[in-house]
Amino acid sequence: MTLHVTHFQAMFAFATVISVVFGFLSRRPPLERLKYIAWSLFLFLLVGIGIGWLMYPFSR
Amino acid sequence: MTDETIAAAPQTDSRRDGFAAVVGVAGWLVPGLGHALQKMWGRAAACFLAVGALVILGASMRGNIFAWRDADAFATLGYVADIGSGSFYLLAKSMEKNGPDVSRSEGDYATRFLAAAGVLNLLAALHAYEAAKGRKA
Repeated sequence: MTLHVTHFQAMFAFATVISVVFGFLSRRPPLERLKYIAWSLFLFLLVGIGIGWLMYPFSR
Repeated sequence: MTDETIAAAPQTDSRRDGFAAVVGVAGWLVPGLGHALQKMWGRAAACFLAVGALVILGASMRGNIFAWRDADAFATLGYVADIGSGSFYLLAKSMEKNGPDVSRSEGDYATRFLAAAGVLNLLAALHAYEAAKGRKA
């Protein structure tokens, strides 16, 4: 069985998993942890989508 | 400080170093075990589930699982990253019966997922080792 995902789904899954581990390893209080995870996830997505748009003019 | 305390200190240090080494190796072999041995249950669960999710996703999407003595230096680097997930490397191997398919974007992403799982597990094992040494909270 092969799993099929879109580019965004793959990026989102990757960013979520990595953000959660970074949050758990680097912060201890639950609220701090949650804030770190949310901020890290947001930055992952922002940078990913940003780089995608930066490359768009060169893709054709 | 009494003479007994002075004599006991190096022994305690060497015992702590030994425990830290066991924690580091255990954390590498089974993701999260290094933290679990120190009763850091949240971190242990997070590492186990995250590395497990990345490996299962990577193998399901047919990423490239590098083998020892593969074609070139990059493949060797890929192997070092993949083997970082410890026993989960074998899980990925056993799941991917049809071999990799990097002709599609999913296969390419999956290769990164598998490498990221290994590197993430090495980071977690190092964190557990440092915590056992008393250098991290």
